Amino acid sequence: MGILRVTDLKKDFSGLKVLTGVEFEVGQREKVAIIGPNGAGKTTLFNIISGKFPPSSGEVAFKGENINALAPHARARRGMSRSFQITNLFQKLSVLDNVLAGVRSRRGLRHHLLREPLRDHELVGEAERILERVGLLGFRDTLVQELAYGQQRALELGVTLALKPDLILLDEPTAGMSRQETEEATNMIKRVTQDIACVIIEHDMNVVFSLADRIAVLHYGVILACDAPEAIRCDQRVKDAYLGEEGA
Amino acid sequence: MKTLRPQIMAWVIAAVLALLAAPYLLPPYQLRLVTEAVIFSLYAVSYNLLLGYAGLLSFGHAMFFGVGAFTTAVALNQIGGLSIMAAVGLATLATLLVGLVVGLLLLRVKGTPFALLTLAFNALFFAIGVKWHTVTGGDDGLNIALPKLNLGLAVLDPGNGPDIYYLTLIILGGALLFCWRFTRTAMGHSVLLLRENEERMRFLGYNTNITRLILFVFTGALAGLAGSFYTILNSFVSLDAVSIDMTTKVLLMTFLGGTGTFLGPVLGSFFYTYVQDFLSNLTDNWPLIMGVIFIVMVMFAPGGLSGLGQTLAARLARAKTTP
Repeated sequence: MGILRVTDLKKDFSGLKVLTGVEFEVGQREKVAIIGPNGAGKTTLFNIISGKFPPSSGEVAFKGENINALAPHARARRGMSRSFQITNLFQKLSVLDNVLAGVRSRRGLRHHLLREPLRDHELVGEAERILERVGLLGFRDTLVQELAYGQQRALELGVTLALKPDLILLDEPTAGMSRQETEEATNMIKRVTQDIACVIIEHDMNVVFSLADRIAVLHYGVILACDAPEAIRCDQRVKDAYLGEEGA
Repeated sequence: MKTLRPQIMAWVIAAVLALLAAPYLLPPYQLRLVTEAVIFSLYAVSYNLLLGYAGLLSFGHAMFFGVGAFTTAVALNQIGGLSIMAAVGLATLATLLVGLVVGLLLLRVKGTPFALLTLAFNALFFAIGVKWHTVTGGDDGLNIALPKLNLGLAVLDPGNGPDIYYLTLIILGGALLFCWRFTRTAMGHSVLLLRENEERMRFLGYNTNITRLILFVFTGALAGLAGSFYTILNSFVSLDAVSIDMTTKVLLMTFLGGTGTFLGPVLGSFFYTYVQDFLSNLTDNWPLIMGVIFIVMVMFAPGGLSGLGQTLAARLARAKTTP
């Protein structure tokens, strides 16, 4: 059984049909990339999966459970974590505080009135290990707003990992990066998500073909094709609709 | 939010020692002013946990202060043999319940609607105070006869300046320390997350409604505790305690002291209490001058007195290191 199953998902905003019957499944530890032109409904799909807003109809099932009615925090507690296309961090707090926010949440220390997170060696140690994995341990006490853009993207991934999720939704993790930064970020994502299922939205085809086990092509609100990267590369419908000759 | 540095810690210790010695150094009227400033310090710190730490602008904090103040007066007048500390406990419990009910009603409201609804609730509580004359005394307020407090080893007379001063200093000083510790706990850190990015919090597994409710109830109870001591200090309570003016007062104290630090509102409370006393001896139009001071501070020192102090300290440090 897959970890995530999306069935006949539809979404319309005041009559504007954005998703018109999306269906796909993500297996355990599988990496599925969702590609498609701007306006295809990729971010809407992510927002529905992560609970930002409900679908008009259809079903999102996570670990076999229908989670349509669950709020984002309840989905996160079940092991689903997401990153954002536009960096969405706690800007005026330190890098460590950002990751600790996730670590505390996973350990149920969200509203504890006695435990002091910064004095808890276990919590701080775990947060530091995550920072090491994303290459930010040296910036532990730096305020997020003082980090370079690429570092903020890395922290975005670190905060996402702090929940020790079973499924990560990565929304354009390399958006706005230079070629070299993109390459480094792709390698990092590969390294830190080895045992985690991922759904990735990405425009950079090099990143997509490098990370994905399968690629789903979203076109006008439906999945046009969902297959292994090589099969997608050769799919004439995908070439016509999206990749053209560039991805071929 | 900054953590306390050693130099600041030294100043805090010196201030605590000065506060302990105050009854031996100050005339009775001045001691009364210090007692009032300590009470307002807790009121302002509780407000700053909402405004400065969580970013929640409330115009209704006086409803908690007033409920604490009136519950203390009514309990002492109506329940024979009730000790002062039991009345304080009842008042805190009452504000806790009010905070819970109002907090639940405001759970899904944010930003400007939140601020306006807190104002509406404050006006509602003020109206209850006016109309429920038989219990609150209406416009006349309530006088109370304060029983002595038997602590076993000593008997405190709340009508005696030094006695009420030390009682206030110990209980409210303890509450202030608890607030300081609160800012360092997991809950305190979550409050900061709330101010910074509530949406991201939710995607990290936080039920932010719970965070906001706990904070609202907690800060309400602290304001109620401060209100309770305000009644005891004055042996009297009037509608002033639950009025919009009392909310304005806490806003002024907090902004004057600075919302960016824990100690800012404490500074603001002492500053406001003493400046108000000084100005009101000079002119009846003292609120006008206080308003001008507030405008000047907001325009030229938005970090308040604490921010000003930090800037000056940084400049001095730079001047020392520059040859």
